[in-house]
Amino acid sequence: MNRENLLRFENITKSFFGVEVLHGVSFTLESGTVLGLVGENGSGKSTSMNILGGVHLPDSGHMSIGGVPYAPTSPREALARGISFIHQELNLFPNLSIEENLFIRNFHRLHPTLPVIDRKRMRASAQLLLDMVDLKLSPGTLVSRLSQGERQLVEIAKALSSDARIIIFDEPTTSLTRNEIDRLFAIITRLKSQKIGIVYISHILSDVMKLADNVVVLRDGGLVGAGPRAEFNIDRMISMMVGRSINQLFPVRSVLAIGEPMLEVEGLTQPGVVRNLSFRVTKGEVLGLAGLMGAGRSEAARIIFGLAPYKSGSIKVAGKALEPADPRAAMRAGLAFLTEDRRLEGLLMNAPIFDSVALPSLEAHASVRTGWINNATLESEVKDFSKRVQVNTADLHDVQARNLSGGNQQKVVLAKWLMRRPKVFILDEPTRGVDIGAKAEIYKIINTLVEGGCAILMISSEMEELIGMCDRIIVMGNGEITGSFDRPNFDQERILAAAMRRGRQEVA
Amino acid sequence: METQQKQKTKISRRNFTVGTLVALTGAAMPVWVRAEGTKTIAVLFDGLTSEFLVAGMGAMEADLNSRGFKMLQAISNRDDNVQFEQVKSMIANKVDGIVIFHTDSNAVIPAIRAANEAGVPMVHFNRPPAESDAYSVAVVADNRGITKATVQYMVEKARASGRKYKAAILIGNLGDVNAIGRRDGFGDAVEPAADIIEVVARIPTEWNADKAFAGLTNAFQSNPDIDFLFSSSDFMVPIVQQVLTPLDKWHPTGNPKHVMWGSFDGDSGAYAALASKHLDSDGVQDLFFEAKASVDLILAMGKGEKPDKIFPDPGFAITQDNMEKERERMWGYSEWKKKNG
Amino acid sequence: MTNPFSRPVLSSGNTSPQHRPLWQRLLLSEYLVVVLCLAYFCIMIPIVPRIASIQTFQNILSDMLPLIVVALGQTIILIIAGIDLSMTAIIAMTSVVGASVMTGTGGPLPGSPFAMPAGILTMLAVGAGIGWFNGFCIARLRMPPFMVTLATTMFFAGVAIWYVTLRSETTSIANLPRSFVVIGQGKLYGIPNSLWVTLAVGVLIHLMLTRTVFGRELYAIGVNRISAEVSGVPVSRRVHMAFVVSGICAAIGSILYTGRLETGSPIIGSNILLDIIGAAVIGGTSLYGGKGKVIWTVFGVLFLVLLDQSLKLMGLTLFMVFAIKGAVILVAAIADALRTKVTGR
Repeated sequence: MNRENLLRFENITKSFFGVEVLHGVSFTLESGTVLGLVGENGSGKSTSMNILGGVHLPDSGHMSIGGVPYAPTSPREALARGISFIHQELNLFPNLSIEENLFIRNFHRLHPTLPVIDRKRMRASAQLLLDMVDLKLSPGTLVSRLSQGERQLVEIAKALSSDARIIIFDEPTTSLTRNEIDRLFAIITRLKSQKIGIVYISHILSDVMKLADNVVVLRDGGLVGAGPRAEFNIDRMISMMVGRSINQLFPVRSVLAIGEPMLEVEGLTQPGVVRNLSFRVTKGEVLGLAGLMGAGRSEAARIIFGLAPYKSGSIKVAGKALEPADPRAAMRAGLAFLTEDRRLEGLLMNAPIFDSVALPSLEAHASVRTGWINNATLESEVKDFSKRVQVNTADLHDVQARNLSGGNQQKVVLAKWLMRRPKVFILDEPTRGVDIGAKAEIYKIINTLVEGGCAILMISSEMEELIGMCDRIIVMGNGEITGSFDRPNFDQERILAAAMRRGRQEVA
Repeated sequence: METQQKQKTKISRRNFTVGTLVALTGAAMPVWVRAEGTKTIAVLFDGLTSEFLVAGMGAMEADLNSRGFKMLQAISNRDDNVQFEQVKSMIANKVDGIVIFHTDSNAVIPAIRAANEAGVPMVHFNRPPAESDAYSVAVVADNRGITKATVQYMVEKARASGRKYKAAILIGNLGDVNAIGRRDGFGDAVEPAADIIEVVARIPTEWNADKAFAGLTNAFQSNPDIDFLFSSSDFMVPIVQQVLTPLDKWHPTGNPKHVMWGSFDGDSGAYAALASKHLDSDGVQDLFFEAKASVDLILAMGKGEKPDKIFPDPGFAITQDNMEKERERMWGYSEWKKKNG
Repeated sequence: MTNPFSRPVLSSGNTSPQHRPLWQRLLLSEYLVVVLCLAYFCIMIPIVPRIASIQTFQNILSDMLPLIVVALGQTIILIIAGIDLSMTAIIAMTSVVGASVMTGTGGPLPGSPFAMPAGILTMLAVGAGIGWFNGFCIARLRMPPFMVTLATTMFFAGVAIWYVTLRSETTSIANLPRSFVVIGQGKLYGIPNSLWVTLAVGVLIHLMLTRTVFGRELYAIGVNRISAEVSGVPVSRRVHMAFVVSGICAAIGSILYTGRLETGSPIIGSNILLDIIGAAVIGGTSLYGGKGKVIWTVFGVLFLVLLDQSLKLMGLTLFMVFAIKGAVILVAAIADALRTKVTGR
């Protein structure tokens, strides 16, 4: 195949307020190839991509596209030069239809001078784009009704609509299910064949290995490795990224205690969400909940924690029945819940870290009658637990949660729940959007918890993580349990097969 | 002390100089204002929402200007608290007197007390306060007397015509002493002529245009032969026209279908109706007199005199007969002239 | 820290406070308003020298007091990212109802020593009641606070006027007991009673906001309602309660206003809504929720009253005063938006 240099990134440096965050990074992207860009959070990936996208101006160095110098001063200019971003947080308007989202920047008009939208033409072009990304939905569908994976396909279609020559994927798979990921990869391959250059940023190194033609590794704002994929393997990438090798991501637990049941769910049913869900988690056990996106795993967790109602069934914590739809009752009974979306549901992003950690424990440190808070004990305990999860305690009052990296944010969420000394901890995607270093730390924290007798229900879309961490894995499909595996029988293929199995609901 | 000061000056001589200059200017300015021998009068109105108030403010300004006095104006926008704060700040500003048109006759009393305490004379323009131990003087139109004179003119005309009349009156808000005065003045004129004038409708309006319109319409429905009308305020002039026109009763005096009509206030609308001969007579509050009296009273009180709490404005009735002669005194005429070049 | 994976993360775009340019630091400073007040005061001295007199200071203080109490109620609502437009109507309604209970002319308790406490309790109850209703609609029925409080404003402003016509010949209710009037006018130990009341309310609200579960949870609700819910904060109950507190603050403000004027009037605070919200925002309380302090609002009120006082001393017309105050409040709101932007949302 005839490949040409599409994008050159030469010796780019960038400082923010006197701190250099990018030290002369250079790489090349050829048309019709995928460049895997890896590195921990803060390694300079986002900064380089923001420079490419016209969000920041580089201090020195230069870029060119197809040999023509390229120095964008705004995202609009970057777009005009054929650069499209598929962001981690998708930038779609959920209240608009697919076609409206696709053409929001440039609606088809009946006539160039008329401010009237040509619906027919718009629909036809939208259909064409959706076919290209293999999304079998009507262009008139509201985006709010799409799954995360489908939304991403719409984003890709949007990029294609602007005649993108370079598409940057930033952690595209974090919220996708395995088959959605497969579909995404197929589309990326198809994009390659159209001579589009792709920058693929991901923490999931196995995906990078599978997809990338070339790999660039960044660490602390500098280039630490670049070359064709054949020169790399996962271990090498990890050791380059963190500056040492990780032999064991999943630490071994010292105790595998199987004690009395702490969480018992019996026949839990909420029409359209979950059906006849029964399982138990015992003291000192990690129960994994596998399944595809939309299988009802997060929904089940929300019901157990009292954030959503259910029609029938029962939930018991430490042998006592739980009042339905009352998160406060759930918390009193000893439940904790790390939600899937930490920005929206886990943290107070625009408040000091301290506030996020202290919030669920305020009442525990206050007089019952007057609500008067004992600041001394609260302060020392928040400090104590922040230390345990290795969050810098000097920052507690001065740094806001949103200024933390994904990994540190997740540790703050852990600290806030650990402080309540939960008997049962539900973790919904605990390592999503977290770099490898922090991942290992989170796993360690989970293990310490389990060793202390906590029962854990862990929802994850990363199969390796479930296999590495769990004592048992149950699989959900379509709101029902479709499989259950004990540790000796863990098998990625069989678990996946169970996840793909259709629930009885569909059959009936 | 001295060394301290020296040190300070040393540290920042320039700051010290600038500071002194600023302080001197500050101290000198009021002295300079006083030296001119002028007086500063605060004029506090609760709004400029009607022609009467705008004309009143204008009359005050003209009078103060003619004396070479300085006017400080403040509008409270119908908020008693704001007006109270304005009074206090005018007192702090050491004005020589306050002319006030208040919103609420009860709520103004603390303001009068504050003025009393500070020894600042206070005069109420056109609207008296409620009874209290606080001392201030109110320049108030003699509503009853003016109305009587106004209606008297109509009664005489009626008598001259030699026929009998059916009368209606549009009454104001009876919580307002002005409205009561006008109602009583109407009675004073009409009752002695009971032989020719029968009052068939007393229409409450609460100073509300919609109520006035509905009330007058109803009155004409039940008594289509009403031909003698008094409206307690000139804001009702257009309403009267609206009601009379479709009934084929809007005709100038002299026409047999003409309704004998008197009103009260003396605004430009009333002047226009007089000029077009639809309105027979209008009771006029003498704004120019009231403005001058307010300032005179403040000066008198400033000298330690204690005039009566009510200072009446005798006002006058302007009629079809004396229009040419008296209209210069009618405030609505000067407004009308402004509008009509 | 021995763990090699956790290193301080300075990702792109994040800047620690000391790296901010001067204008940003100034914008973010909580004492910005005090600095502005001082600067403004100094500028005004040569223009209206009378501003630097004890009497003006006294006036500024006494004008600030009732407004502080009311603005603190609004601050609480702004902290939970709500807005309470009904405070002026609560002031009016409590004023006339309280006065009708206490008045010596036609009241139920003429001359009785219980008239004053009965009146005050009635006023607090009416304020709390209207606040309760607002809170019910907003927290339990999930209606937007803007709509609910706008509607209650119209309703109670109207009812207050109607109520007076039932109770009085004139447009207001006078002849209030001396013991009540003293709250708005008298002094104790040389300090105005209204200052004592305001101090008490200020300290109580400050402690409530900073030191109680209720207060801390209000901030959490303002920053992120969903996250608060997931963290076990009884959001509806707290929001409901916040509006009750706001109603009580309006009622206490009304006690001071009514006492000061010795009159229960349905138009007693009809024009101060923008002052109430403006004072809180000028002080630095965010319209976006989650931020606000008692002391900030006090500074905001100080600035607004100082401005007002200086404009009055200059004898500017109402329209000029409106335009200037509006502009200042607008600038404060823009500063709020900038602050939110600078700290990166």
